[in-house]
Amino acid sequence: MNNPYIPIPVKVDRIRFETDDRLIKTFDLVFIDKEDEKTFKYFPGQFAELSILGKGESPIGIASSPTEQGFLKFTVMKVGVVTTALHNFDEGAVMGIRGPLGNWYPIEEMKGKNVVIIGGGFAFTTLRSLLIYMLDKNNRKDYGNITCIYGARSPDLLCYRDELEEWEKRKDMSLYQCIDWKFGSKGPIEEAAATGWQPINLKEPKNTKIKPGIKKFTAFVPQLVSAVKPTAKDAYAIVCGPPIMIKFTIPVLTELGFPPERIFNSLENRMKCGIGKCGRCNIGPKYVCKDGPVFSLKELENLPKEY
Amino acid sequence: MKDSLNNMKYIEKNKLVELIKELKKDYILIAPVKLKNFVLFRELKENEEPYLDFLNSRNSPKEFFFPQTENIVEFEGIIDKRVSKLEDIKNKKRIILGMRPCDIKSILILDKLFINEDYVDNYYKRLRDNTLIFGFGCNKPRTTCFCTSFESGPFFKEGSDGFITAIGDKFIIEGITEGGKKLIEKLENADKDMVKAKGEIEKNANDTVPSSVKVEKIPEKLREMFEHPIWEEISERCLGCGVCTYLCPTCHCFDIQDEVINERGRRVKNWDSCMFPIFTLHGSGHQPREFRYQRMRQRIMHKFNYYEENFGVIACCGCGRCITQCPVNIDVREIISSIKNVKLTISNEK
Repeated sequence: MNNPYIPIPVKVDRIRFETDDRLIKTFDLVFIDKEDEKTFKYFPGQFAELSILGKGESPIGIASSPTEQGFLKFTVMKVGVVTTALHNFDEGAVMGIRGPLGNWYPIEEMKGKNVVIIGGGFAFTTLRSLLIYMLDKNNRKDYGNITCIYGARSPDLLCYRDELEEWEKRKDMSLYQCIDWKFGSKGPIEEAAATGWQPINLKEPKNTKIKPGIKKFTAFVPQLVSAVKPTAKDAYAIVCGPPIMIKFTIPVLTELGFPPERIFNSLENRMKCGIGKCGRCNIGPKYVCKDGPVFSLKELENLPKEY
Repeated sequence: MKDSLNNMKYIEKNKLVELIKELKKDYILIAPVKLKNFVLFRELKENEEPYLDFLNSRNSPKEFFFPQTENIVEFEGIIDKRVSKLEDIKNKKRIILGMRPCDIKSILILDKLFINEDYVDNYYKRLRDNTLIFGFGCNKPRTTCFCTSFESGPFFKEGSDGFITAIGDKFIIEGITEGGKKLIEKLENADKDMVKAKGEIEKNANDTVPSSVKVEKIPEKLREMFEHPIWEEISERCLGCGVCTYLCPTCHCFDIQDEVINERGRRVKNWDSCMFPIFTLHGSGHQPREFRYQRMRQRIMHKFNYYEENFGVIACCGCGRCITQCPVNIDVREIISSIKNVKLTISNEK
């Protein structure tokens, strides 16, 4: 009988620093038993418990897309016991994973629609999965316009920078990036402008006229969304980022005309079992691990504000 | 269910020890045992006798299905070399003798969480599958009992494989499931008078339960009360010690921890409690339930609203342990009554 508590053995195939503060690393994991790879069927937005015997487990969103074969990608910040142990690993180390767990972004429902992806900081992981999935040559035709708005505190804290460069050049999607460097009297803002980051009208972001070709800005994510003004017509918004970013982005999306049933968030809570038994990650009657982590704003409106 | 005479057996109280001796050959026998100041369920040791002259045990026997600490895996040396899997864990059949109907009801409640179509907790299921339960009717409920509030009662038999009723110097034992009937087939049949006496006790049993609360519509009402000020009021004197959650037969929250000594280690499921702040503390420092009233709200909401919404049953069996053991006399019956008395205004409704 399948036992949901037992991890599947994997090998750490590749490790690299994601951000210059060296707190975030990306790990490519490969299954030791190829049979496990076949049964590990996942979708963008799902997560897995990274399991290090002797240390514990940590729930992390899957950053690779099911269209990428042969490995699973996890981008992990060094925070506690498990993630620190993971950061100390060398390539070749053996560990376990449990999953895939949770639900996923509405990839079926969004077919034929425009998709706006909005991410902040290192919460971009499962959004990367979604983006790669939709841009896949077999899937791209299923979706309308793809707009991606991604921000971090500073340029060196953006994840997947090589890929961001590639996506910038693509004709079948629009990528807007922003950084929220403190805007001093001189200093960072000039430095930012010199490296291609353009200011926007922060007081009235929606009055900003975005010149064609300019895709990098100094702004907070909600302001950039307001300036880019993605159309809500036939469109879905997928939002993932720190709580403060979500808080200020939702009203902008609502003003742009996105109804709550077409705004999706990915949430997190402290988790242990990942299968809706251990009882700690609930928001009202819903468990983030089993009923989420992806919730539409409409669903969230019907749940208590306890997250 | 009409009692069929064939399934009704009896044994003299002083002969029980012999029966147990017989059963112990093939089964692990778990029964209430008298310790210094309280009664506890535990595996009977060599020549240990069960103590059946009790009201209820201090701890809930849920631990025999959902142990306080349970190994998920054991490991040794290199961290990926697992030395123990589920199959290795001992599988001897067990009998729990003398479990009270409220506690049996609680297991029926827990079944819905641990064994459902989403995921099956194999550890729980294994213990559930290899255990026969002999329920024990309550001739004399405690003052804090309120089992009849939850479609249960002092002679509630669902979930029992066999059921024991004490009459005078005899135990009448009723076989309910095939497994239960088989265990007692060698006992002598009860006669008509015994069955009649048993019927008499059962007939008025529900009236002997000293307290009850009306829980109809409580789940629906709680849905509108998340933001209500009542939670701060109720939790004012709570110490956050968590004893209610540890003794509660339906509390099932657990933690998963890894323990390593030298080269040997294990990953364990441990009971946990929603009354502790660390239960929900994020790695980032973010805390969704920062205040005690939020944690008290979670406990009550989980039992009387969320669980009902997810599984169609309230997660309380009316055993009263949280009432008798609370160091500051918080009474869940009073909490339910105050919820009932709340007049919802428009602003409390979403």
